[in-house]
Amino acid sequence: MMKNGKKVFGFGSALLALTLAMTGCTGGGGSSTVSGEAKGGEGSTAEAAGNAYVLGEQPLEFSFYGHYDWYTMPNWGEDKASEWIKANKKVNVVPISSGGNAKQKLSTMIVSGELPDVIWTERGADVESLRKAGALVPFDDYLDKYPNLKKWAGQETIDMLRSEDGKLYQFPNWYTTQPNGNAGYLVNKKIYNDLGAPSLETTDDLYDYLVQVKAKYPDVVPLEVGQSAGGVDIMTSAFAENRPYQYSSLSMKAIPSGDALTSVFTDEVFRETLVYANRLYREKLISQDAFTQPLEQVEQKIITGKAAVYVASSPTEFGAIGNSILSEEDPEAGYIMVWPVHKEGLDKNKIFPGTYNQLGWNVSVITKSAKDPEAVFAFLDWLTGPEGQRISMWGPEGLYWDGVDEEEAPKFTDAFTSDTKGRDELMNSTVNLQWVGNTVYVDNSKMKFESTLPEDKKSWETKWQSEITWKTQYDTTEFVNLNPAGDTNEGIIEQSVGEIYEKAKAQAILNAGSEEEVLAILDQAEKDAQQVGYAQLLEYKTQKWKENLEKLGR
Amino acid sequence: MQNTTHRVTIEKSKAKPSLFKRFGRQWDLQLMVLPPLLFIFVFSYIPMYGVLMAFQDYSLFEGFAGSPWVGFKHFEMFFGAPEFWTVIRNTVVISLLKLLIGFPAPIILALLLNEVRNRVFKKVVQTISYLPHFLSWVIVSGFVMSMLSTENGSVNMLLQNLNLIKEPINFLSLPEYFWTILVTTGVWKEIGFASIVYLAAIAGVDPHMHEAAAMDGAGKLRQIFSITLPAILPVIIVFLILAIGNLLSAGFEDILLLGSNPVLRDVGDVLDTYVYRTGIQNNRYSYATAAGLFKSLLGVLLLVGANYAARKSGNSLW
Amino acid sequence: MKQSAGDRTLLFIIYALLALMAFFSFYPFWNAAVISFNNGTDTMRGGITFWPRSFTLENYAVVFEDSRLINGFVISVLRTVIGTLLSIGATAIFAYGMSKSELIGRKGYMVFCIITMYFSGGLIPTFLLIRSLDLFNSFWVMVIPGLISVWNMIIFRTFFKGIPAGLEESAKIDGCSNWGVLFRIVLPLSGPVIATLSLFTAVYHWNDWFTPSIYISNADLLPIQTKLQQILNSNIMSEQMAQMDSAAQGRMGRMKAVTTKSLSMATMMVATIPILCVYPFLQKYFVKGVLVGSLKE
Repeated sequence: MMKNGKKVFGFGSALLALTLAMTGCTGGGGSSTVSGEAKGGEGSTAEAAGNAYVLGEQPLEFSFYGHYDWYTMPNWGEDKASEWIKANKKVNVVPISSGGNAKQKLSTMIVSGELPDVIWTERGADVESLRKAGALVPFDDYLDKYPNLKKWAGQETIDMLRSEDGKLYQFPNWYTTQPNGNAGYLVNKKIYNDLGAPSLETTDDLYDYLVQVKAKYPDVVPLEVGQSAGGVDIMTSAFAENRPYQYSSLSMKAIPSGDALTSVFTDEVFRETLVYANRLYREKLISQDAFTQPLEQVEQKIITGKAAVYVASSPTEFGAIGNSILSEEDPEAGYIMVWPVHKEGLDKNKIFPGTYNQLGWNVSVITKSAKDPEAVFAFLDWLTGPEGQRISMWGPEGLYWDGVDEEEAPKFTDAFTSDTKGRDELMNSTVNLQWVGNTVYVDNSKMKFESTLPEDKKSWETKWQSEITWKTQYDTTEFVNLNPAGDTNEGIIEQSVGEIYEKAKAQAILNAGSEEEVLAILDQAEKDAQQVGYAQLLEYKTQKWKENLEKLGR
Repeated sequence: MQNTTHRVTIEKSKAKPSLFKRFGRQWDLQLMVLPPLLFIFVFSYIPMYGVLMAFQDYSLFEGFAGSPWVGFKHFEMFFGAPEFWTVIRNTVVISLLKLLIGFPAPIILALLLNEVRNRVFKKVVQTISYLPHFLSWVIVSGFVMSMLSTENGSVNMLLQNLNLIKEPINFLSLPEYFWTILVTTGVWKEIGFASIVYLAAIAGVDPHMHEAAAMDGAGKLRQIFSITLPAILPVIIVFLILAIGNLLSAGFEDILLLGSNPVLRDVGDVLDTYVYRTGIQNNRYSYATAAGLFKSLLGVLLLVGANYAARKSGNSLW
Repeated sequence: MKQSAGDRTLLFIIYALLALMAFFSFYPFWNAAVISFNNGTDTMRGGITFWPRSFTLENYAVVFEDSRLINGFVISVLRTVIGTLLSIGATAIFAYGMSKSELIGRKGYMVFCIITMYFSGGLIPTFLLIRSLDLFNSFWVMVIPGLISVWNMIIFRTFFKGIPAGLEESAKIDGCSNWGVLFRIVLPLSGPVIATLSLFTAVYHWNDWFTPSIYISNADLLPIQTKLQQILNSNIMSEQMAQMDSAAQGRMGRMKAVTTKSLSMATMMVATIPILCVYPFLQKYFVKGVLVGSLKE
């Protein structure tokens, strides 16, 4: 049985010598194979240089690896979208599975020098280390030959995606130039109306409302904040204007102050939010299982209407399902969203519970294992363009859309609104193929269509997106890539500070008995963090932030 | 003349046959063990050079040949980590608790099952008892979390209905409950499966001995203690030695899933979860290897100690 | 057989305890089965306990229609059967040799083996070894490296040592070789331990999702447990989610939401029930008093 992580002391120098000799053949081969393949790759693109690759003329096959424990790529060709692509564009994608163990899997692929052709992963340390080892193919030569990425992502986004050597290796997913995202406050309609639909504008209003809910509905959770009390993070947006929750979240832990990034533990807004949350928790106005519930418990509560207010980074998922189930039984029931809550005295139009950034969610990189990287790029470029997006989001032409208008937006057919079951089935089957999502195109097409529909046919989600959420998401592009790689000194500090942060936040909400105690916990956390080198980490992040600002020309 | 030489030669070989010759005589026995040993050499010893990672700043891309050597740097960092003593304490405590309760439990279950006369009942209970072993911790932890939930969790509802508590207890947010929850679920999950081995051992006990003891007036309890237990003692001891050697493996998936609440970290973090979080998640392979090496060394020491203690009963591993 | 009152009470308590334990052990499994037969959207409402609320076979339909899952099932069966047979056979022979006190080098061999239980080179060197042996991405990588289990060897050895020496001696006097004694005398008497270790080994092979996830890239060769692991992972909050902005979290959540709990449970049922059936089948080997009457005093 093989267990990773159990260590050795060595059995004898003769043995060691023998094994070292053997590793000479196998271990060292890792990096040399990679560069060996590089030559092969460059050779074949030479023929394509000059003329653009035309998708669909030749059969194209490449391997695709999603670097996530939970991601399973569906079999290519078994759903309507990839079936069409396979038949019409002659593209076949071979899945490489992470097997539930992405980190180990990728490490073995790197060590053996056999990387998949395309790796789909988060931006950051993994991409950088692959690039530094010379494993990735740069896209600079391709940008001008293929229209879509350049056009839809824009120069700024592309520059932000460039690596330290100035070249572009990352193909973004769900990149955007307009706000998108669903973060906000979901409110149980029935309970709200029942209690007289009071104003829910300020944090004090919210508090009063929650108290009312608790008194009248003992079985209902007044404020649901999701797993690991994620909703509390979102609520930091209520205590300051123009304040994305990112600043005080686990990923960033750095508050811009002037032109430097400062400690999260001493930040007034973070402290105030935790005091507020702690008070809500103590008075049982926040779900008591905030830090221990599995996702399905949250889902259950929302879907069965057992929460009065739900604040999260994407409450619309459960909200939509809950709304349809609850309103089926009782037309008065369901969910609505309210304009983001804010502290008394702040301008409500400057409150941003959600965040997005231009670079989108993650990226695809093409490795030097690819026999024809330019062809792969051409495919990804097509996939991110209007035609590719139409087909991968909504299926081939003739089913749920027929023809396009002058802006290339699809003209949805009646089946789109009448056959919701079939439509949802198709969309569920293709969602795992959306590797290079084009937010602007998709959202605009959706909105355009929705505006032509009568009220009762409009999608619940898009209604709230257009009315509230898309207007209240903050652009945090300048704060991307601030985190150091895990195995550097700063990375080690990041890890330690992160643990201090998590513990302090949980203790402040769960255990503190009063406002003083919350602040005391945070003060202690600041001390502990400084001891492990927080100041050095903040300096690193400030540096990276300044570099971003330069790239963005701000 | 020849006779005497011959006799002397015979006496010589009788008195001191060479090692080589003795070895040759039992070649068929050696044939049973040498190929497997070679196999073990190939698959377990050849890769052992991986331990060297602990003394390098290993990089996946440079490989062993290209990564720089840093001596004991990672060991120093590991021992100097502020969480080090907490982690060690948690590992030892949780492991001892699991051993204290989880080791006898399957034995007791096997003994109990053995007393059951009704064969259908016995077979059904045996089969059911080992089901939890097959449920992954993802599923089991989901269950436990919903049972211990403050919102309609069965445990809290039961306690409230029995008027033992007024308000639900937030079990998974209170450090004092964690070890109990961990050990209880762990024992429950493995008890059935682990008892199988003891059942097999008990199956080898001569039933006539029980009858004889019964006729002498020994009650069930007495029979268990004087007959069954001694008969399966060799198996118990072997497992005990191995369990002690494994003391530093206090759990992994169960702690990761049940102890996800940060307030539990001070009591829940054990060696394996600590190394996973700080080492592997951050691509610090060398650091993780160093910590693991430390764990292996201690484990071997414990094993040797346990084996030595067991020698007296004649049931040691070597 | 006469039982005292004390014995009868004891027996009653034993039966009660066992029944209670059986109930708690069975419930989660039953619940998972019930959920697997329940409609996925309905399951999201929670509250399913002893019986499906909205019975449906559609989850199982999805599972059985997924060619990869069926394929994975076949691979799992093949691996388990072949792997168990080979491993038990090889390890039993090994253990018998190790159990003979006249074996030269016995102690050293034992130490040699036990060290491997604690020390290992880790994933990367093992991976490189497997590649150099050309086992990578082949069916045999799931069977061969685990062929000799030191753990099983130790258990076998303990049992073999417990077999009365008299039996073996009389066989030898009759002209049996060591191998002959092993196959004609010792193994037939070892029903319980062979059944037990076969079960353990089969369970190990059946449940092992990790080895194939690393060493096999070909999706057609992946056993069903690896596939199940990926499905179950979609229910866990991943570390990465904390690192993203809310828009990205929404996108990721959307992808993960495709697999409902009911579907996960159905997959789990299909992936688990076969191995559960092995034990009842082997129970007949746990026969009492196999040694009775074999030794003439």
